[in-house]
Amino acid sequence: MTTQTATPLGKKPRLMNKRSGISALERERARTGRVMILPAAILVIAVLGVPIGQAIYRSMEQWDGLTATWIGPSAYTHAFSDPTFWRVMENNALLLLAVPFAVLIPLGIAFLLNEKVPGWKVFRSIYFMPTAISWVVIGMVALRFFAQAGPLDSIFSAFGLGFIHPNLLSNQHQALLAVGITFVWSMVGTNTIIFLTGIATLDPSLSEAAQVDGTNAWQRLIHITMPQLRRFILFSSTLTMISAFTALFSLIFVMTGGGPGYGTTTLEFFIYQNAFGQGQFGYGALLGIVLFVIMAVVGLIQLRLLRVDD
Amino acid sequence: MATVSYIDATCHYSGHPVPAVDGLDLEIGDGEFMVLVGPSGSGKSTALRMLAGLEPVASGEIRLGGEDVSSLSPKHRDIAMVFQNYGLYPHMTVADNMGFALKLRRAPKTERAARVQEAARLLDLEQYLARKPKALSGGQRQRVAMGRAIVREPSVFLMDEPLSNLDAKLRVETRANIVALQSRLGTTTLYVTHDQVEAMTMGHRVAVLKDGVLQQVDTPRKLYEQPCNTFVAGFIGSPAMSLTTAPLVEGGAHIGTTFVPLRPEVTSACRSGFVSTVVLGIRPEAFAVAEGADLSIQVSLVEVLGADSYVHGDIAGHEGKFVVRCDGRLNPQIGESLALSVKPQEVHAFHPETGQRLG
Amino acid sequence: MSTSVETSPLQSPAITPDAQRAAFARRRRLRTGLLLALMTLIAVVMLYPFFFMIETSFKSENQFVNGTGGFSLSSWSQLAQALPWAREMLNSTIVCACAIAIILAVSTTAGFAFAKLRFRMSNYILTGIVAAMLVPIQSIVIPLYVNAAHLHLVNSYFGAVIIYAAIGTPFATFLMTAYYRSLPDEVIEAAIIDGAHYFGVFRRVALPMSIPALVTIAVLQFIQIWDDLLVGLLFLQNPSERTITVGLGALAAGRTTNIPVLMAGSLVSAIPAVVVFLIFQRFLTTGLTAGVSR
Ligand SMILES: Nc1ncnc2c1ncn2[C@@H]1O[C@H](COP(=O)(O)OP(=O)(O)OP(=O)(O)O)[C@@H](O)[C@H]1O
Ligand SMILES: [Mg+2]
Repeated sequence: MTTQTATPLGKKPRLMNKRSGISALERERARTGRVMILPAAILVIAVLGVPIGQAIYRSMEQWDGLTATWIGPSAYTHAFSDPTFWRVMENNALLLLAVPFAVLIPLGIAFLLNEKVPGWKVFRSIYFMPTAISWVVIGMVALRFFAQAGPLDSIFSAFGLGFIHPNLLSNQHQALLAVGITFVWSMVGTNTIIFLTGIATLDPSLSEAAQVDGTNAWQRLIHITMPQLRRFILFSSTLTMISAFTALFSLIFVMTGGGPGYGTTTLEFFIYQNAFGQGQFGYGALLGIVLFVIMAVVGLIQLRLLRVDD
Repeated sequence: MATVSYIDATCHYSGHPVPAVDGLDLEIGDGEFMVLVGPSGSGKSTALRMLAGLEPVASGEIRLGGEDVSSLSPKHRDIAMVFQNYGLYPHMTVADNMGFALKLRRAPKTERAARVQEAARLLDLEQYLARKPKALSGGQRQRVAMGRAIVREPSVFLMDEPLSNLDAKLRVETRANIVALQSRLGTTTLYVTHDQVEAMTMGHRVAVLKDGVLQQVDTPRKLYEQPCNTFVAGFIGSPAMSLTTAPLVEGGAHIGTTFVPLRPEVTSACRSGFVSTVVLGIRPEAFAVAEGADLSIQVSLVEVLGADSYVHGDIAGHEGKFVVRCDGRLNPQIGESLALSVKPQEVHAFHPETGQRLG
Repeated sequence: MSTSVETSPLQSPAITPDAQRAAFARRRRLRTGLLLALMTLIAVVMLYPFFFMIETSFKSENQFVNGTGGFSLSSWSQLAQALPWAREMLNSTIVCACAIAIILAVSTTAGFAFAKLRFRMSNYILTGIVAAMLVPIQSIVIPLYVNAAHLHLVNSYFGAVIIYAAIGTPFATFLMTAYYRSLPDEVIEAAIIDGAHYFGVFRRVALPMSIPALVTIAVLQFIQIWDDLLVGLLFLQNPSERTITVGLGALAAGRTTNIPVLMAGSLVSAIPAVVVFLIFQRFLTTGLTAGVSR
């Protein structure tokens, strides 16, 4: 200490209003904090925030990207009275029917993996692996799988059901089923991992205590295990729902192009079609806002339900 | 080297109505080992962190080497700190941990290496210099945290319960090592602990805090022999001093039916204060077992420590527990009564309302 | 099970504890076997696309259409012509690398600030950024496209990179904030006392401590961006700049009838993401469940 070199005390102190109780350190902290969040804030505002505002404004215009005429809020009432819009919304609603399957099947698989049969980690990797493949690739394979005389047909004939030619994709009312099945398949990996994580957090002593109390396995599942997994089920349901609304663009683009007819046109695909297929940018923007509102509602509901949990 | 003065220093946490540290006045001499002690939540850490510059001084000031540093940020204060959980950088080796401050100051590499080496030698860490903190035992980590402070050669060491993560045996050992190190380096030190034994054994002087208010600053011996109020009296010493309210009589007070004489200063203070009762404080060793005495304690618990044992129990007509030190070979049974005498010159007296020491 | 074990010793003293144990072990083995069979069946379903792609890509167009067996490398020899995959994979790599670099840079700084340098309003700003996770790209793609056209950013890496970066930033910031919150304050205060300023604490202490979280974000974003179609389709239309997924999508939408070639292309495009997945699986898992684990 006697050889104290560069004396830091020598630096000019910044004076402060002592009664405010804010120290030099706190001021530096706040200043650095503001600067450090700036890039993220700018990026998000410029690329996500501003366009949402623009989309809201443009949704009330007749707009082809170059020239625009103001319509006003009646654009919405007009859109909501269009039967095609409701046809598309119906597709989305039908796809939501796939959500329980996309959640419960992985839940079952997670319990299966959790039996920890030798080699289960390899199976876990295999089930999880499809999350790495793009929807484009999945769609391309699915397209062949469901095609006429494709593997699905072969499977039916192998079981002596050769007279059924499902040929889902060429039927306006069945193509969505093929999309739904593919969607469920592709959510398996993600949701299984979520539930495996959830199961790992279970408190075994609760289940053991219930066993001592003479409950059977089914009762324990319903009354002990499931409530503990509530958070995870909620999370995976939300994720699956959001995916059903916003992640299927590539799949539909490759698999069906939205057809036959409007058979597989979901809202997100409808946006693309209107804007970039038909140049109706204003209507596309409006549809985008509808989608955004739906997503915000789903997100807020999840948030509220998770809050209740805590 | 430096002196430290807290002058009416106050710290408020936003959202808390009462200040965490309230008008603290404390002088720490150059090279002194000052211990801040008090129960949990009494503001010890806050007081220390104010000196470090980690908490703002809302009013009053803090001086370091005579200069007001209240508005300086930590790096301009020339202090080093040892944290309770050590706060080691997990991704750096022991050597890098200790040399980090010098590196930030752009000290030449050779000087840095030499100082780290020197500190490692002092703390017996030489063979661990290349390891990461994760690969060290708790005691070794503690020494690295010390080393990081030493290497800086600061004018003040600040330590916030640096031993609380060690097991009992290691704590006693390290206690001695820190004291030896501090006296060897001669660096002014402010040491925070909630353990009064640590405070008494380590500090040149000890400052007792309660609810953000300084109660007493004194040498350990003075603190033990002349606690300034009932709080300090009960806090310092283990087992704690027995405190009980007793009626005043001419020249003394009554415990049970036994007359305990009080020093004239005490009785005169009582008289001028117009009080009719007084709080008596009696340490376990101020009692003596006396066959046939008329004061007796109803035994409820016996702690046998070997040479001594501590007998806990009640005295008829008095609130509170009493603790008596007696010979370890004497083995009273629970429920028995034990006859006692009191050494009058060791009885403390406190004001029944304010709790302040009388006389 | 319990009944037989309990009653049998009374009936026949021949059943020793050893025999009981053997029966138990047999039952266990049977159960394990059944579970394995079920798991294998699921594995086949999950791996089906890989089987299909590999099998089909090694057929000629005729062999595939006629459903005959056979082995042919013709699709592989035609692949480069149909799909300039080397160029497109390079494009994918460039776009991924730049976007990930931006995401990491902005999310680590912001995450550290939100977690440890809290200031007035910082929590509201964090909520705002995290809420942007709910903005579907389809909702903003139209204004984005028009804006980018005005700025001449359509068909440049830069435009796509910025958009990918912005889409990835909210989640990455959320993850980094949670990660930095879990760092003990003491380490940061120690560095402050050692003389660092807050940005120095971030750069020299917090950032090196958060490598696992960085890897998680990088892997998650890599797979997401590599596999994305929509943004690439709109913002990287030129064959010379488009990513492999866009190239594949375009090829598929062109209604190419040569399916073996398509499958060869799909296989090639999937390999990098699958390899990254296999290497960094562990990190991916933590990233995915970051939203639920407390
Ligand atoms: N960051 C904070 N924000 C708000 N209040 C705080 C904060 N830190 C401490 N306090 C409050 O200030 C008071 C003093 O706290 P401090 O940490 O100084 O106590 P301490 O004496 O060090 O206790 P311990 O022995 O438990 O460490 C307590 O009442 C505490 O609740
Ligand atoms: Mg403390």
